[in-house]
Amino acid sequence: MLNPFRWLILVTLTFALPTVAQNETVDERILLTFIPNVQFAPFYVGIEEGYFADVGFTVTLEHLQEPEVLDLVAVGQANYGVVSGEQVILARARGRDVVYVFEWFQQYPVGLVFGGETDLSELKDLQGMTVGIPGRFGASYSGLTTLLGSAGLAESDIDLREIGFNAPEVFCLGVVDAAIVYVNNEPLQIQNLASAGDCGDVDNVDVISVASRVDLVSNGLIVSRARLDEDPDAVERIVNGLTKALQAVIDNPAAAYLASLEYVDGLPADPSLMRELQRSASQQEEFLASKPDREAIARSRLQLAADLAEGFDQASLTQFHVLLNTIDLWDAERLGYSELESWQAMSDTLLTMGFLGEDAGDLGAAFTNRFITGNEA
Amino acid sequence: MRLSLRELSISFPNPVGDMLPALGPISFDVAEEEFVCVVGPTGCGKSSLIRALAGLLRPTAGSARYGDETIDNPMDRFAIMFQDASLMPWRTVLDNIALPLEIAGLPRDLRYDRVRALLSQLHLEQFERAYPAELSGGMAQRVALGRVIVQQPRVLLLDEPFGALDALTREKLSLELLRLRQRYMQTIVMVTHDISEAVFLADRVIVLSRRPGRLVADIAVDLTRPRAPDLIYEKPFLQLTRRVRAEIEDLGT
Amino acid sequence: MRKTAKRNPGRQEPTAGTQLGTNLRRASPFLTVFVLLLLWQWVSAREIISHILVPPPAEVYRAFIKAMAAGTLPKHALVTLEEMLYGLLIGLGIGLVIGYAIAKAPLLENILSPVIVGFQSTPIVAYAPLLVIWFGSGLASKVVTTAVIVFFPMLVNTIVGIRSVSPKLRDLLRSLKAGRWQTFRHLEIPSALPVVLAGLKTSATLAVIGAVVGEFVSQGSGLGFLVTSARNLYDTPLVFVAVLTMTAISLTLYGLVAYVEWRFLFWQRRSNR
Repeated sequence: MLNPFRWLILVTLTFALPTVAQNETVDERILLTFIPNVQFAPFYVGIEEGYFADVGFTVTLEHLQEPEVLDLVAVGQANYGVVSGEQVILARARGRDVVYVFEWFQQYPVGLVFGGETDLSELKDLQGMTVGIPGRFGASYSGLTTLLGSAGLAESDIDLREIGFNAPEVFCLGVVDAAIVYVNNEPLQIQNLASAGDCGDVDNVDVISVASRVDLVSNGLIVSRARLDEDPDAVERIVNGLTKALQAVIDNPAAAYLASLEYVDGLPADPSLMRELQRSASQQEEFLASKPDREAIARSRLQLAADLAEGFDQASLTQFHVLLNTIDLWDAERLGYSELESWQAMSDTLLTMGFLGEDAGDLGAAFTNRFITGNEA
Repeated sequence: MRLSLRELSISFPNPVGDMLPALGPISFDVAEEEFVCVVGPTGCGKSSLIRALAGLLRPTAGSARYGDETIDNPMDRFAIMFQDASLMPWRTVLDNIALPLEIAGLPRDLRYDRVRALLSQLHLEQFERAYPAELSGGMAQRVALGRVIVQQPRVLLLDEPFGALDALTREKLSLELLRLRQRYMQTIVMVTHDISEAVFLADRVIVLSRRPGRLVADIAVDLTRPRAPDLIYEKPFLQLTRRVRAEIEDLGT
Repeated sequence: MRKTAKRNPGRQEPTAGTQLGTNLRRASPFLTVFVLLLLWQWVSAREIISHILVPPPAEVYRAFIKAMAAGTLPKHALVTLEEMLYGLLIGLGIGLVIGYAIAKAPLLENILSPVIVGFQSTPIVAYAPLLVIWFGSGLASKVVTTAVIVFFPMLVNTIVGIRSVSPKLRDLLRSLKAGRWQTFRHLEIPSALPVVLAGLKTSATLAVIGAVVGEFVSQGSGLGFLVTSARNLYDTPLVFVAVLTMTAISLTLYGLVAYVEWRFLFWQRRSNR
């Protein structure tokens, strides 16, 4: 039996609950690919600096293979995932109704690396050369196909070798003339080897990125159509949180690197580097308070890289440089904005590769810019 | 040729490494064509005795000789038979009996001829192609007996060959053994724990003491051969069994 | 052989009732498969699980026909089969030889067991990438992964098989002055055969795992690769086709060994009657 006093408590609680819930956050999973890496810094910063909490979510991260990420989102077992645009096109062609709501990588991260002495002033000159590639799959293969297509070449015009993810070693052994790589990572490693004299007769490396020739849609955030229709507000809040986190990384890479330490095993962080990064991070905070423009911030990143190069060796800075290089692939006037042309280009590439049976369907339905800041219609 | 044991003893190492005596020292002789039964309490080393005579077990001290040859390895024309038939389950009756001939390198036709000649004597002609799993215990032991006889041994070493059989089958097989012996006249050393079986079959009964088994009595069985089943109701037989029993009972419990 | 056996008084002819039971027992594996198929059809017809995750049987069948017509399925299946067979031959051969040696020389067991047990308790999936680096991304590395995985059951069962040889029969052969080879041929092989064949059954089903693990690590061809590439193209029905083909290969090999067992170990069957 409930006495009047208990009734009072119960009623109070019942009314109090919704207000409590409003201040609390909802648990949310974001599925990522690959393994924890400094390149996922925006998500680490989003969690550590509270950008996701500010929009009402306690985010946890999981790493899976790309097809698994996509299918789990498609069937509603997870709400959000990060995959490449090519996967979105392929999966949509096979009945997975997912929507790409935020283009994280504004530039396609794949490119062709080669020695400075190799004459590749015209991409056509690639004809007859030996080119290494991790395998005939994924973004590398799409990137290569697109590059070749832009130069009027086909795969049969080159000697393509599958070398796994060993481009630096294989390239420096001289087995291949050029290699398809992620432009933010391997060129750096190869340059390190070359500078140390460990890369045959190659002294400096050059890169032709896919992005410099063709705008291909790259990695971004996906949700299922059902989820989007059911709770567009939640999607918008996640996109807003991610936008702020991404901007924070672009603005202050030293702080982002420090925030990533907890998530990425083996990230170089000896005490002196930590101190230097902390100093640089707070200095950058002051600089940002003066509301500098995008270009000024980009210059500040270059300056930071130059400053660090004086005090630390290449090896301990490699991962930080990877982050800086990757920021260049993210930075844009309107973060997250996706162009139809880049989807069209990717779908053409997939058709060339024979991965798409007929046509890609309605590409316009594959993505939306409606949640992008400055794009609210 | 005589089988002669001189101060033969056998010991086995226990897990700690100490040598535990199992048999002897023991000395006795078995004359050519003699049938000797060895009786004694369980664990007195009877089986070790048979294995030593078969050349499967080296004596720890002393020796066993056949004629003037020392037995330290399996001898030609010696054959051994165990308490269980120990047949090869994947071979037919025919092939089980033919095994010794096959090992000796006899051609197939020849060995089958010899085995078939033996099958009827053992009342096994119906079972030529049967497998051991299809045989009764008595039948399996008949096959084992056949496998011994086919070797045409001069010396037969039998380790409680009928110990696992029921009384009726045992009696039948005993008679058969006597019949076969009458025909081939081998020297036989047989271990048994059945006193009347020993007296019924043997020319001499040797009684062993408790572990380590030593010779406590060597009793001549002067009953005429061939022996009929009714013998066991006659006075001389009963007297002999009583004597053997008394020797064993004297060992205490 | 059977005709004469029937005349044996010790044997019982099966009665009508047990005959029905025997037929039912023989049919039951097929019944299980049939019930599973029905369940699968029912689950997908009601869309209890999304078609993205579990496509309906009809769609898988269409994917199968398509992959057969295009030649992709036979091509990849043959690659996997080749890897499996070479791996089986090598793994079995080594398992038999080392197993026999260990059974005969217990000292060898003391020397080898840390290596062998260590190898066995390390999951092959963990070091498969190393094998691919050492042996290349071609046939060799997959043959090695298969050989490694089928080796152990063979080894253990050979040891157990040889050690289970009846000591009485060993004595008998010694008393017959049988040579080493005669003992091996007439006693050790037939005695160990049931246990060795049981090991072979296990090995046969493991072989496909070895091959596919290798294929997952190094891209190229084979059913493992077909799974990966179909996954990457979001072709779930084709993934099912590839996986079911592996099952079929595995079951066929198992059946083959079971047949060999039935054929050569008839003498064991008799004892059950």
